[in-house]
Amino acid sequence: MGDRSIKLIVNGYSYNVSVPAETTLLEVLREELQLTGTKFGCDTGECGACTVLIDGRPFRSCMTLAVEVEGKRITTIEGLANGGELHPVQKKFVELQAIQCGFCSPGMILTAVAFLGENPKPTRQEVRRAISGNICRCTGYQKIVEAVIAASKINGGGRK
Amino acid sequence: MKTETLIGKSVPRIDSIRKATGAAKYTADLFLSGMLHAKVLRSPYPHARILDIDTSKAEQLEGVRAVITGKDTKGVKWGVFPYTQDHGMIATDKVRFIGEEVAAVAAVTEEIAQRAVELIDVTYEELPAVFDPEKAMKDDKLIHEDRGTNINVHVDIDVGDVDAAFGEAEIVLEDVFKSAGEAYAMMEPYSVVADFNSEGYLDLWIPNAGPHVRAKALSNLLKMPLNKVRVRKIDIGGAFGGRSEVSPSDVVTALLSIKSRQPVKLVLSREETFTATRQVHDMIVYLKTGADANGMIIARDARVIYDGGAYSSTGPIATSVPFYVYEETYKHPNVRYNGYRVYTNKCPRGMYPHHGRAYQVAMTTHMDMVAEKLGLDPMEIRLRNANRSGDHTATDSVISSCGLSESITMTAEMSRWSEKRGKLPKYRGIGMGSMGLMCGFPMGFRSGATAFIRMNESGQITLFTGMVDNGQGNENMVVQITAEVIGIPMEMVNLVNADTEMTGHDPGAYSQAATFVGGNAVMRAAQDVRRQVLAASAEMMKVAPDELDITNGMIHLKNDNEKSFFIARAARYAMSNGGNIVGKGSYFPKISRDREWVKNPRGQMGGTYSFNTVVTEIEVDPDTGIIKMLDVWAAHDCGKPINPATVEGQIHGIVSRGGVATYMEEIDWDRGQVLNPNLLDYKVPLATDMPEMDVELITTNDPEGPFGAKEGGLTASMNVYKAIVSAFYDATGVWLKELPFTPEKVLKALAKKNN
Repeated sequence: MGDRSIKLIVNGYSYNVSVPAETTLLEVLREELQLTGTKFGCDTGECGACTVLIDGRPFRSCMTLAVEVEGKRITTIEGLANGGELHPVQKKFVELQAIQCGFCSPGMILTAVAFLGENPKPTRQEVRRAISGNICRCTGYQKIVEAVIAASKINGGGRK
Repeated sequence: MKTETLIGKSVPRIDSIRKATGAAKYTADLFLSGMLHAKVLRSPYPHARILDIDTSKAEQLEGVRAVITGKDTKGVKWGVFPYTQDHGMIATDKVRFIGEEVAAVAAVTEEIAQRAVELIDVTYEELPAVFDPEKAMKDDKLIHEDRGTNINVHVDIDVGDVDAAFGEAEIVLEDVFKSAGEAYAMMEPYSVVADFNSEGYLDLWIPNAGPHVRAKALSNLLKMPLNKVRVRKIDIGGAFGGRSEVSPSDVVTALLSIKSRQPVKLVLSREETFTATRQVHDMIVYLKTGADANGMIIARDARVIYDGGAYSSTGPIATSVPFYVYEETYKHPNVRYNGYRVYTNKCPRGMYPHHGRAYQVAMTTHMDMVAEKLGLDPMEIRLRNANRSGDHTATDSVISSCGLSESITMTAEMSRWSEKRGKLPKYRGIGMGSMGLMCGFPMGFRSGATAFIRMNESGQITLFTGMVDNGQGNENMVVQITAEVIGIPMEMVNLVNADTEMTGHDPGAYSQAATFVGGNAVMRAAQDVRRQVLAASAEMMKVAPDELDITNGMIHLKNDNEKSFFIARAARYAMSNGGNIVGKGSYFPKISRDREWVKNPRGQMGGTYSFNTVVTEIEVDPDTGIIKMLDVWAAHDCGKPINPATVEGQIHGIVSRGGVATYMEEIDWDRGQVLNPNLLDYKVPLATDMPEMDVELITTNDPEGPFGAKEGGLTASMNVYKAIVSAFYDATGVWLKELPFTPEKVLKALAKKNN
């Protein structure tokens, strides 16, 4: 099978890439666009490290074919901060030390951003459920839950 | 002038912005020009002789740049100690586990490398394999013929008069305890980038827990001068004890780069990370305990079998540390310990923070059983047997600062222990675990650390340290210490770390050495800079250095901050009168130089010890057998927290790993094959599995630690699983003796009790 030419909109920029049809969005982001903030953790949809936003909703980019998201609005961790200004979720992850090794953080932060868009005033238990598809091996999740709750108190978690 | 201290402040970590924005670079994120991609051919057999390897078809595939086999190695075998060198890193004569490295390819794309690997023909002759360590101990089927036995390491410790003490004991208990090995399951799959350049330098980016130790191992294995092997700084996605040691992947990637003269990247799959990198030992513990009528444990006799897998790895250390962490916690007047690490046809087993979970559970369960027989509160028996400041351990370590008893009473108060133990409704229980741990262990001349600091003409400084950060906050810790000592804001400190070309030796971020050893060296380098700044300033101002102070980068007379000037002026004055201000600091812990894990297990083990207690309340569902932690309370003696939020975070994380593992985590084997090599079948804790945790930090101001600091967190992992065992008994009246306590085992145990 030959390569497919597709147009992707990532973090507000449009890209034309030519890849085999079976190429995942994760591979395109990391290998073609060198947006390496999106992490390869398992390649089978189990860990959530590769989470990106597609039209504001969280998806596993390792389980998404690049051809499926042609023309859709994709946000990776590199596109979340507004210029030098961190997104409220990023800000609170930094301030409250919700980041240790940082490998899960891009996926975790994007999941939290999408969740706060749907549920701007969550309880701690709701936060736990929302992030339960993103594995963190370092923090025991406690400071992540605290950071998401703290972010929810800044303009309902900010823009998506 | 009132000086604000940075020590004890939960300032945001310096590494967190790059990690929050996707700018952090981990090994797999590197793209070097001309970089090739590697794939490894692995053994499909647990034990087989290699008769022939034919790589010709792979070599001819378009896009392939290098193919290597065991013949490309230098024939050096790896082992942490001279007497454990048994691992050639790529198999030559035999394969000894499923997943062992047999050959590897570097090609222009990952797909071509994979296709080429599949074109390599290996002819094997299958050999009988052995998977059960107790059988292997007696077996004549040898995994390493030249060793003459499958017993890899035997640690033999005998202190006091054990037999006489058993004769005097009021209570004698005997039981068998078992635990399955766990997976580290760090979020970053193992990856290596190697770049061998035309000047003969080999640059390596590797997730590691000690760049200097790694570079030296690779220099030996590749027979290259140490100065030509450069382990470079890279962000690391977790370690948990699993990245302490050189890995076959490092050697494979290096050899491919040397052969192809191009940079090479190897990224292991999640499955390879599970099956072909070091994981944790399965254990069997035969324990006999004797206690007197006051609940003092007066005799112990332990025979412990460690399923070591095919090679030595850190063998003598792994076989010893469970013993030591117990003796650092409780009195041990008469003890016999026989630890056997045994070769089996499995991937080699390495270190893990949950040091010997079957052993710690066995020791604590017997303590709880003694308490039960004597009608003592489990908290009381812990306090009676606890080590205190100034105590000597069985093998002659002196415990300096010790907050163990405080951690026990503090968690009892936090959890309202006395109102709960033995008094909660059926199927609910509360339990307690306590543990001490050495901050660093003897590593010969490598036990110490050296750091340098340079000041530029604008007064900003660059700190050079071998300290590595796997996620625990070490980078921030050294910057926080440096800024505090010199008297400048953290923003004025640049950090160069974990790069073997640019930094002095550091023993590594394992065994709790980072703050105590590496942090101590950094503190001393900063003190040296401060001394020089004050000397230059004093000359300029024609006063004595001790009349001056530095606050927020401004130099001023003590008690008078009216006449002050910026630190840059001192830096320039020094440059005009000799040169840049450059500071150096070294620290070597006060440990025994003669101690050896097997030959001489006596003498001072660590420079100091940290202590921790965890209490947890659990609920057992009698219908499903599922255990759930409802609450966790922890109190930790870290000497003095440099950054309290960081220490809390360490404890939160380790409670999740050690705690949930008690009932969920095990590597599941079938004849040498891992059955659950992924994050779906191997259960790690999710956010919904964790309760809220309440952590208190105890300050004991260690006399040796930087600002009194010891180490944060690791002890809690052992405590939480011991607390769960104790809580399970409180909830059900049943002692569980085989970890993990899966629903199936729980239901069986409850059914047995009810019949």
